[in-house]
Amino acid sequence: MRHVTLVVMGLLLIAAAAIPASAEVYVHGFMQGLWGGRLDQDNPTTTEQTASETRMQLRVEHFGDNAEVFGRLDFFWDGADTTRYVWELREGYLKFRLGSNIDVKAGRQVLTWGTGDLIFINDVFAKDYRSFFIGRDDQYLKAPQNALRVEWYPGFGSLSFVWTPRFEPNRLPTGNRLSYYNPIAGGIVGTGIDPMFYFDPPLPEAKFENGEFAARYKRRVGPFAASLYFYKGFYKNPLGMEMVDFGAGPQPVPVYPKLNLYGASLRGAYLGGILWLEGGYYDSREDAEGDDPMMPNSSMVGLAGYERQVATNLTINAQWQVDYLMDYAGFEDGFRDPSTGEIQGFVRDEVRHLLTTRIRQLLKSELVKLEAFLFYSPTDEDAYLRLLAEYKYTDEVTLAAGANIFDGNYASTEFGQFQLNDNIYMKITYGF
Amino acid sequence: MKGMTKLLVLFVIGLSLLGTNLVAQEDANAIMKKSHMTYYYAGDDGVAEVKMTLVSSSGKEREREFTMLRLDNEDGGNQMYYTYFKKPSDVARTSFMVHKTDEGNDKRWIYVPAIDLVRPISADDKNSSFVGSDFSYEDVSGRHWTEDTHTMTGESELDGKAVWVIESVPKEGDDSFAKKISYIDQETYLPLKEEYFNDKDEMTRRFSAVEIEEVDGFITMTTRKMEDLDKGSHTIVAFSSIDYNVGLDEDIFTERYLKNPPRQYTN
Repeated sequence: MRHVTLVVMGLLLIAAAAIPASAEVYVHGFMQGLWGGRLDQDNPTTTEQTASETRMQLRVEHFGDNAEVFGRLDFFWDGADTTRYVWELREGYLKFRLGSNIDVKAGRQVLTWGTGDLIFINDVFAKDYRSFFIGRDDQYLKAPQNALRVEWYPGFGSLSFVWTPRFEPNRLPTGNRLSYYNPIAGGIVGTGIDPMFYFDPPLPEAKFENGEFAARYKRRVGPFAASLYFYKGFYKNPLGMEMVDFGAGPQPVPVYPKLNLYGASLRGAYLGGILWLEGGYYDSREDAEGDDPMMPNSSMVGLAGYERQVATNLTINAQWQVDYLMDYAGFEDGFRDPSTGEIQGFVRDEVRHLLTTRIRQLLKSELVKLEAFLFYSPTDEDAYLRLLAEYKYTDEVTLAAGANIFDGNYASTEFGQFQLNDNIYMKITYGF
Repeated sequence: MKGMTKLLVLFVIGLSLLGTNLVAQEDANAIMKKSHMTYYYAGDDGVAEVKMTLVSSSGKEREREFTMLRLDNEDGGNQMYYTYFKKPSDVARTSFMVHKTDEGNDKRWIYVPAIDLVRPISADDKNSSFVGSDFSYEDVSGRHWTEDTHTMTGESELDGKAVWVIESVPKEGDDSFAKKISYIDQETYLPLKEEYFNDKDEMTRRFSAVEIEEVDGFITMTTRKMEDLDKGSHTIVAFSSIDYNVGLDEDIFTERYLKNPPRQYTN
């Protein structure tokens, strides 16, 4: 990790030297305070607060006509669970043109593609749900990865290739600040119960075959942008289990199972709004038959969404995601009691539905933004509501307050597992 | 017989009245078209640095700075716009693109660099404010002259310049104004003032030209102002480093450049 950062910084220095000195260096950034408190008293974690941090982000940009060096460095005091200074290079890349129709971006970067609004099917770039759930800015949902991106524009659309030599997982709640569902414990856990519930699964071994490779072909089809996607790597969440013997007999340890992903999407203007459709086939390479209870089954996921400005400053969207689990019988068998053959606990449906809506209202010449985003799954019987009120006091100073509310009938579902993490937060940002 | 003559006289008078009215309207249409062309279609393309100052009713100021590129696909027809934001800090490095079509179904995209996100924006409401200012999207890229019925109501003088006074009423009733009165400079064809009225005949917005200069042989409004009389706010837009006919490539107005700003222009 440290090495990669050093290499990236070295590259940046070389690049900086390669760009004509006449180009200017731009420095921007912000200072931000974020404080979040819990709404649940019985949360099994060790912290009182969900957030208590002071952050400074510096953006440094230096470019010529054909090349650019960019750095985005975050430095913050985190008082909520780690109580320490943290620094992270969120972006540090060199971007340049190769000939007339190839763009290369090399280094630490944030990557996004796909069509969903906070729903990701073919975008399997790293996400940071630890930040997302506690009120950090939207940009922090995307975790950076050390990657090489090459985009080719041959005239019949565009082809993008992203190679991430070292697998970068999603950042999920660890149990320190946010509690989660632990299948071995069979309930919602956190480090407040036992330090062993700190959750940080081991990464796949660092070797060439374990790198991530993602590709996209995108082109226009009538009024729509159409894309095809491919990904070879691992599930970004540790959905698998492996028995590891640490000396006291085999213990189950969470792992990131191998994944191939094939998908497509369509997005464009339709009936005065924006329509998007996306689908993907998750090929779980370590459970081709779908009968291994330790590994996730393959699945087909589809998404339809529509957004429209319904009044001058009011925009509403809605999405419907359908997730079909393959070899469901084999999956269900994994939940049977070995002696009675009865299914134990909550088992997800073969077809999981997820509905979302975003409502955004701008007021006072766009100085005030009120926003609500709701995830609701009728099949998992859980929900997640995000609320945000933001006021741009001046061009520099922004005040914000928000809430993250989780609910669920079962402890093991996607949002239900976070039901003890309800929080409200306040944020003040000074941009420069 | 007498009644017949009277009817005929009335008919002739009516016809001639209708005729003058038609002529006046034709003139008004021609003037508005020429004004639109002068104001929005100078040269085949254009590049400028834009500074917007938003002043609230309490006098609080906010600033927006961006580079704006424009390419006309066809004179008086389709256009493409590219905007690269520099200020304020929270929107710096964001780029924004519009493909404006005659039929009015404009396409808009935004690129958010912090998350590497390209997104089309629902562009249904052209009356939305442009970046929180008193200018709407339509004010920035231009309302097509064929969308209104124009009538010449007279000639007048404004700041020592001879102007035509033209009243425009939207053909479709669902617009942000019920009536607009434009004061068009008879020499340059630029609108020196525009007054927007609501359906109660109250003035709601007022546009005025603040500075007009000649740039590369094109008469250009370099500073303009829009007042929102309901809110008591106003916005001043100043253009600088203006260049016309720089030979912008159509490629610039694609997703590739949305993600990779054309630095030779956005510096």
